[in-house]
Amino acid sequence: MAYMHIGKDFVPPDAPGKVTGRIKYSEDYTREGMVYARLLTSPVPHGRVVNIDASAALAMDGVVGILTADDVYPDGEPQSTGLKILTNEPTLVGEPILAVAAVDEKTAESAMALISLTIERLPFVLDPLDSLREGGADAYTGGNTFVFRQGFAQEKWTSDQITSFQNGREPSAEPQQSWEYGDLEAGFASSDFVYETSFSTAGYPHMSMEPRSAMAYWENGKCYLHGTSQSLTALAEPMANIIGVPLEDFVFINEATGGGFGQRSRAGSIPSMAIPARFSQKINRPVMMRVTREEEFTIGGARQGLQGWIKVGFRSDGSMAAMDMYCVSDSGGKGGGGDANSAAAGVSALYQSEAMRFRNTSIGTNTGHRGAQRGPGENQIMAIVAPIMDKAAEALGLDRLAIRKMNAAQNGDVSGSRSTPFTSAYMPEALEMAAEQFDWEGRKSRSRQANGSKVTGLGIGQGYHNAGRSGMDGIVRMLPNGRLQMHTGVGNLGTYSYASTSRAAAEVLKMSWDDCDIITGRTDRHLAISSPQDGSNSIFTNTRTAYGAAQDMLAKMKEIAAMDLGGAAADYDIDGSRVYQITDNTVGMTYATVAQRALELGGKFTGEAEVPEDLNSLTALSVSRLAGSALMGIYHDPRHAGNPPGFAVAMIEIELDTETGKFDIIELVNIAECGTVVHPQGLKNQLVGGAVWGIGLSVLERHLYDPQNGIPASTGFWQSKIPTYLDTPANIGTGWVDLPDPENPVGARGIGEPSMGSVSAALNAAISDALDGHLFDAAPVTTDMIINHVAGISEEAIPLAQNNFRG
Amino acid sequence: MYPVNPKLTRRRFIKGVIASGAAATSTSIWYAANGAERPPGAVERLIRINVNGQVRSVDVPPQETLASTLRYKLGLTGTKLGCNRGECGACTVLVDDIPSYGCSILTHSVKAMRIETVEGLESANGDLHPVQQAFVEELSPQCGYCTPGQVMAAVGLLRANPNPTREEARQGMAGNICRCGSYDSYLNGVMRAAEIG
Amino acid sequence: MVATSHDVMPDIELYQPTDEASALALANTLGSDGWLLGGGQDTYGWLKDRNKTPAAMIELTQVDAWKGIRETADGVEIGAVTTITEIATNPLIQSKYALLSTAAGRVASPQIRNVGTLGGNLVQDARCWYYRRGLDCYRAGGNICYADSPEGLNREHALFGSSRCVAVSPSDTAPALVALDATMVVSSVGGQRLIAAQDFFVGPARDITHMTVLNEGEILTAVRIPNTWANAEFYFEKVADRNVWDFALVNVAAAFKVSGGTIEDVRIVCGAVECVPRRLDAVEDAIRGQQRSEQLAEEVASIASEGARPLNYNHFKVPLMENLVKRAIRG
Repeated sequence: MAYMHIGKDFVPPDAPGKVTGRIKYSEDYTREGMVYARLLTSPVPHGRVVNIDASAALAMDGVVGILTADDVYPDGEPQSTGLKILTNEPTLVGEPILAVAAVDEKTAESAMALISLTIERLPFVLDPLDSLREGGADAYTGGNTFVFRQGFAQEKWTSDQITSFQNGREPSAEPQQSWEYGDLEAGFASSDFVYETSFSTAGYPHMSMEPRSAMAYWENGKCYLHGTSQSLTALAEPMANIIGVPLEDFVFINEATGGGFGQRSRAGSIPSMAIPARFSQKINRPVMMRVTREEEFTIGGARQGLQGWIKVGFRSDGSMAAMDMYCVSDSGGKGGGGDANSAAAGVSALYQSEAMRFRNTSIGTNTGHRGAQRGPGENQIMAIVAPIMDKAAEALGLDRLAIRKMNAAQNGDVSGSRSTPFTSAYMPEALEMAAEQFDWEGRKSRSRQANGSKVTGLGIGQGYHNAGRSGMDGIVRMLPNGRLQMHTGVGNLGTYSYASTSRAAAEVLKMSWDDCDIITGRTDRHLAISSPQDGSNSIFTNTRTAYGAAQDMLAKMKEIAAMDLGGAAADYDIDGSRVYQITDNTVGMTYATVAQRALELGGKFTGEAEVPEDLNSLTALSVSRLAGSALMGIYHDPRHAGNPPGFAVAMIEIELDTETGKFDIIELVNIAECGTVVHPQGLKNQLVGGAVWGIGLSVLERHLYDPQNGIPASTGFWQSKIPTYLDTPANIGTGWVDLPDPENPVGARGIGEPSMGSVSAALNAAISDALDGHLFDAAPVTTDMIINHVAGISEEAIPLAQNNFRG
Repeated sequence: MYPVNPKLTRRRFIKGVIASGAAATSTSIWYAANGAERPPGAVERLIRINVNGQVRSVDVPPQETLASTLRYKLGLTGTKLGCNRGECGACTVLVDDIPSYGCSILTHSVKAMRIETVEGLESANGDLHPVQQAFVEELSPQCGYCTPGQVMAAVGLLRANPNPTREEARQGMAGNICRCGSYDSYLNGVMRAAEIG
Repeated sequence: MVATSHDVMPDIELYQPTDEASALALANTLGSDGWLLGGGQDTYGWLKDRNKTPAAMIELTQVDAWKGIRETADGVEIGAVTTITEIATNPLIQSKYALLSTAAGRVASPQIRNVGTLGGNLVQDARCWYYRRGLDCYRAGGNICYADSPEGLNREHALFGSSRCVAVSPSDTAPALVALDATMVVSSVGGQRLIAAQDFFVGPARDITHMTVLNEGEILTAVRIPNTWANAEFYFEKVADRNVWDFALVNVAAAFKVSGGTIEDVRIVCGAVECVPRRLDAVEDAIRGQQRSEQLAEEVASIASEGARPLNYNHFKVPLMENLVKRAIRG
């Protein structure tokens, strides 16, 4: 289909501001009378604050005030998992206990030393298996797990059960969660190759470039919060609730967000922004809370680590007959993370196993909170499964590409616990495209070839995420000057989706991009609710709303034209910012004139009547404030049917030096299968960014706490091993299948997360290939692990430990 | 609106000097408390520094980092603090053309040198610097928080080596983390900037 | 225990002497209250964390006499506050002492090399994360080692020479200078003393709170590299997790004098395996006079790790060290 905007590059309005440094992040703002808050955080991994004596600090020159958990929870803290604003019951080192404000940061820091904090230490645990063991410590007061609607509970296994699991055998304990489809037993019975192993994947820290600093002030009863988010509107209402201010009196300001990756999608994953808001309310001053890199680590959270057992059966033709998976998930100190379930659903989607069983038990540890971080579980598990696919191909005498094609998801396929159909799926096409661009046929003979100490390894990886939601709203306005204003709540996160999804509205109205304005940046510009821009869903979800709102406007414009110029609305078409009669295009009105007429007509045309009843509350508020200001297109998106998948395929060639454990990536191709391409440069950025993340997951990143003190060991970029220019290839090949999805008006689906899983899988497979098919059954596979394997060293490291070097 | 501490409204304690709201440095108190004699020759706080071609008078405590001076005294918030530890590069500025981490250098150490930040790159008529232009064309930034540092590293690299190979560009840019993983797009930008230079 | 993430430079005085005499006088007067400041890349973290609390910094980089690279009658002299970048890119060093320029080019990141100094790279403090975290370990004056314990995270720690503390020498230039048989020029108001690079670094058995022989009031002002090893055959390799910023898991610096395929003389040094750069005398002895070959490398590599005492998570350093030595000998 020939589009005017969809599939075309453009200059996103924020790009110049990013290269000039002019665009503002929350910490770049200042306000007359502003004071600086710093956090006093828990020095212990699990404890109870007995007393806080801040008198000496408050007496210090320049100190303005203190905010404690008692201030923010006057009726007592919520007794559940989940992040709190401040707490007297910390469950990880670095959890905020109180904040001090002073005239400058140095004074605030110095004041901390004068605060006498009496804290009762409680037992702590860093690894789920240590907590599952009889007598092992529980991460929370009241248990080591939190059961929805029931509260804290204690889950314990026998020593034999744990030892057996650690030794690679199927866990025998009753899981907390399970689902199953197909005949598992028959599947394994019909299998010609069965592989069974325990595995572990590490947690990895969030580490957005921008620490989650926030600044707040109150004016005329309204709370203004400069913060960071992935969606201004998805965050605004729950954040207003956390702060305790009515939505209509809350203004959230967020021009640019320095990385989100899921953790800034929802208010509950970033309640720290409420600290300056509550503090400002208390001391009647604007409060800036700059968050340090270390705090970004401790309160910023991490992806879950998984310890699991997996058993996969293949028939002689390569088809996956059965997959059985049992995970013990690390829920960290604040609960959270459904990675295991998504991991299993991801395996089901990508490999179409005929029978499947998933079981999981989630256990808390006194480490950072766990949550969204570019792909829940799928990206970790694909790094485990990809080398197993190769093992099966080798055992069954199949080509590694062929076994993937054999199991690839296609149109009409279903996946997951409820056998949900895909909205569309073109994995074979994606594999084919990657193979061609990578020259799989030409390269595959190089597999395992040695050159001195260097060995070539090839890997194929596939990534998946359920990449589209619905149920959000759209608002567009046409001004009497003919400009289209697109009110979007999508955050400016770096995906440029806030702009690229808005272009669906310009597409519908066939408008020159120069005549369009994206209205965003602060909620008092009256935005429509958007998805939280997590879960790779923006493109699918918010093109639907932009498109729908523009369709509503289009219908209204035709109606006005028919009213003024005669005939029926159906007799009109549009082009060149004009509505005209199809039979005589000289009879028409410009958009500017239509907008002017709408203002005269009022009512439904200007959002003063016949507003869709099912709008989300925030959108309804925005519409009520915009009503009467312009010709309005308003839309509530109904639910879609099926599962819109985001798929990616990566192929990698590495040259691994068996003497140093280091490797060079010779070639890396990352291909997207995400429906119609909306914004090529944005998609390309997701593919190269996902590749860098995949490399981080597969070989570098770590999330460690000291077993002796429970203190974090990987707080900065250095110790958490965030990939650099020189750990990633100088060139990353990208491409896309570009076939439309029927559930989206422009055919688009999301891609952010799959683009990481494809590469994590391909890289782990390539390392395995270079080492004669050795399976580490772990991610990351670090330099030391490769050296140890080659040297035949088996370290005494706990085989399934989450919180350790795998060794 | 709210009571304002008189100290905070003391915007400028000496005409033309940009001051912080902070209390004066108190190292001398340490010497007094320890009965030690303070050696002569400690730095004067009031200095003039050349930032983006303009000489600015500013009150700088001895321990202040350049990034702090730029962001909080001179309002040049384009220079970002990603880690404040020399582990990310978001605060990269040029000091006599050399890319340096603003968070890990004292303002007093560079007071005699030319300091350039991302705000000083555009031409007088507002045209973007070739690196900035190329980064827009290649859509190199994602979240943009590391971008000012990437821009400054690229400008420094191209001044020293106007026609780098992609590998040289990669080595030269290596001191800048991009958590979004946009390295490939930044390298495209550097190579394009070298072309349009 | 630290309850606050400190991130702001606390009050501290700064002296910026521009001549040797003033700098030495300040170092003498201030003693342990004066912090010697080179490029500052191993300074500001300590101060921001408030884990080191000196009263004043003495900036050494304004003293011209301690800067630059000078060819001398019997070698080259490098001022201690010369930047790492300058050393990595200096034509004289690159042509005659490429071992050092190569090692310098692998230090940290470009921006750190641009301001970091040779002196700073040599005298930087231990990078053990427990110590850096501000815990009360032996090196910090306490009476415990968190790394050398049954649960300690010690993947990056020492194989050799542990004595209560298991931190390693983090420098990339230090092994290169030991291999080049350099001499450290140490100045104070009392005069100058010359110390062989190999003797400049000290392990925990001798001094658990310092990593060099520098006394209070003393400043490393220059490094002299003798002609002896100019234009020798060099090998430097650093293996680190990330190829930027990270300290070596193990590095190796080696200098060979080879004639007609025979190794006439050799010095091989490994970093990150001991608190000091570890000179591999036994390997040197085993290959001196032998034909430099793949076979020789294979035969003697295991000598490199003799006496290693791996901790829980750093066994990999044994084969890694052996492999790097093997590669050095192979050339």
